Order: sequence, then structure tokens, then C-alpha cells
Amino acid sequence: MGLTARDVMDTRFFTLLPETTVAEAVKAFRRAGEELNRRVFGMMVTSPDGELLGMVSMYDILILMRPKHIHIWGEMHDIDVSGFMDECYLRAKSIPVGDLMTTDVITLTPDTHLLQIVDIMVRKHLRRIPVLDGGKVIGIVHISSVFFFLMER
Amino acid sequence: MAHAPMSVKDRKNVLSGLKVREAMRRIAVHLPESASVDEATRCAIKFKVSAILITGREYQALGVVSKTDLMCAYYAGLPLETPVSTIMRSPPLFCGMDDSLDAALDTMRSKGVHRLYVRGDDPDQAIGILAYPDIVGLLYRYCHKCEHNTLRTRKVPSIFNFSDTFKVRDVMNPSLLVFREEAILSSVMEGLSAHRIGAVLIRGRNNLPSGVVSKTDLIMAYRHGIRPTAEAATIMSSPVRSCDHNEQLVSAIQKMIFSDVHRFFVYRDNPDNIVGVLTLTDAARVRSGSCRACVSSRIRL
Repeated sequence: MGLTARDVMDTRFFTLLPETTVAEAVKAFRRAGEELNRRVFGMMVTSPDGELLGMVSMYDILILMRPKHIHIWGEMHDIDVSGFMDECYLRAKSIPVGDLMTTDVITLTPDTHLLQIVDIMVRKHLRRIPVLDGGKVIGIVHISSVFFFLMER
Repeated sequence: MAHAPMSVKDRKNVLSGLKVREAMRRIAVHLPESASVDEATRCAIKFKVSAILITGREYQALGVVSKTDLMCAYYAGLPLETPVSTIMRSPPLFCGMDDSLDAALDTMRSKGVHRLYVRGDDPDQAIGILAYPDIVGLLYRYCHKCEHNTLRTRKVPSIFNFSDTFKVRDVMNPSLLVFREEAILSSVMEGLSAHRIGAVLIRGRNNLPSGVVSKTDLIMAYRHGIRPTAEAATIMSSPVRSCDHNEQLVSAIQKMIFSDVHRFFVYRDNPDNIVGVLTLTDAARVRSGSCRACVSSRIRL
């Protein structure tokens, strides 16, 4: 048995509940980043008993914030759009993350081989992949962990 | 005796000569046929789209699920786990990138749809979408650049001076569908479906406007497990987004864009006296077809 997800996964991770609002998620991203001493770009969304339901990232939240009629107001250069982003955030902040999370999540088992993880990350353009054991989240593998583990051996 | 072909000017229409490729957008989101209705509702909320393309294993366009279809699934009590293939409309209606916008608009009108998918090199795949707002945006740009634009001939320094001549009352639709707060969601859905509209006004026990229920509100209620027998008051958006019927059209458009809503209810004298609805499409359409050269090209829904 070679090196596996078990060897590179972070067992210290933070999760959100599906009913967590966007405003609360933003605070959680910030808090987790401070505790882990690195930027947190996304989090897993789990049920109260730790079952993985999906993942939500900054990208998902930015998609939600993007104005619905942007293709129209982009044509209307005579309209003043100052204050627009504040309005966008006000609308988005009460939406639960369960409404915008990605549910089509690729996961690993603790025994997934390291090179398989590299392959998945490269092919699917993934930066973080949850590790499940019996449906429950037990860790997360970050691309930086894999990268430095491989390159600094 | 042979006649030389006549130079025919069939119509004075700004759309003449324009092609679908100039107005279409790339498709932002699509789902596989195995996706659930739950995933489709989440897509509609997250991407703020009115319809989602359903694709097969080779990304061939199989069908379309619109907000109306999702609302109907809610009305019918389908579980959220139901595959989207159960409720999708198939096949999608297509147009070609090099079709004229005129022809595409004719198809949309005759088929009673709000969007067409644009076929790519593979005739089974959709690479873009053409919807009324896309055409509106294009017309707006052409109107500004058009040499017949009244603005140029009058040498008016700002577009605002011209646009300000339009009032909300000139453009609004005076038809309204109204429900009471205690109306059950099933009844609201029946009303939306029968009248082919996107939202209804809700009045409180004092008969004053108290909220709005849109298809988006209903789809969110579906996702959050609210029963169709619940009262409209439980999911309505409040307060009612409205504008004065004497308000400048340009101001109303700006507010709609900022509020990220597609419609405003229109009041006369005071906000409790709702007399019509103004949609962004209606408003932008009039602004787009302001000058004489564009009048004949105004979109008829």
C-alpha cells in the first residue's frame, strides 16, 4: 500500500449547515482562515451528524451575487450603477447555502492513492476534495498539501 | 424581354440584416437528464435563470426545464428527487447562429416561447441561447449608434433628456392578478399558469397590497419543503416593489436593475392604489425602439 489520502488530508476542517446564510458563511470563511492561518475559499456543507451534502465556495456566492440583468445594464451606459454591489450583497446575504451549494461533489476514501488524487485534481480542476469514511467527513485534501508533500520529499 | 431584378426595400426595420450570433449568449448552465428536480431548482435560484437546458451523455440538447415546469412539479406534488427528465419539455426549440433575428423572433412569437437555443456545428448540441432581453440589449446598442437616431439629429447632449420623455404609465400593463394573503399556494400557481405571468400581487386583510408571490418564490418554497396548501403570506416577498405611474421610465428601469427584479407594480396617487405592472422587458423595449428607424422593430410578445 503506497501513500494515500490518509497521509495528506487535513483532519482539522470547518463545515457549514445547509441553512447557514451567505452572510454567516462569509464570516465562517474569515474565521476559519484565521484559525488555519491560510485563506479559505470554500467549505463543506454537512448535515448535523456529519453527512456530506455539498460544497460551497466563494465562486458559488459570487455567481449568486451577479446581477440577473447584467446583460441589459451592460448595454445601458447612461444608467448610474453606483451602490450596485451593496444592493447585490444585501439581496444575497439571507440566502441559505443549501440553495447554492454544489452537490455533485467528488470525494475520496482514506485509502485513495496519492497519484489518483493528483489525477482527479488535474482532470477536474479541483483544489480541495473531501475524504469520507462511511458517508461521514473525516478530512479534506488540499492541493497545496498534495503539492508540497510530493515536491518536498 | 428580361427585367433586371428590382432593388427591393421590403421593410424599414433595424433588425434587418442582424443575425442571431450578434445577440445570443453562451449557455451558463445545463444539467444532465439524470439530475433531480432539486438540482434544477437550486440552479434556477443560484444562476437566476428562467430555464435550464437538459443534456444527454454526449451533451446533446434533450429538453428544457423552465421555472414554470418547476412550479408545475411543485403543484403536482412531485418529490424533489424526481429526475428532471420527467418534467422537461422536449425537444428544445432551436435556431441557427446565422438565422436572421427577424426569423428567430417570428419563431418565438409563433411558438409562444421566451427563448430559443442556438445550434452549433453539431446539430444536436446547443452552444447558445437567445432570449428577449438579449435582443433588447442589442437593439438598445444599435439605437444609440444608429445614424437616424433622433438624438443625433436634434443634437441633444444627453440620452437622459430624451429618455425622460417616457413615463411609466406609457409602458405599463394595466392587467393585474391579485390574491389575498390567506389564498393557498396551489391557487396562486393556478392563476400564474392560467394567465402566463411571472408574479401576483398579494393583498392583506385590510385590502392593502402586502406582498408579491413570484415563480421564484414558489420554487424556493418547493425546495424548502413548504406545502402547496400553505398560505401565500408564508412565502410572499414584502414589501411590494412599486413605482409611481408618473415616474420617469429611466428612473424605474434603474430601480428594477438595482433591485434585481423583473417587474414593478405601478401605483397611482399612493402606493396602496396599484394600477398595473411594469416589466423590465417592456421598459427596455420602449427605450430600444425610441427613434423612428427602430419603431417597426419593437418586439411584440
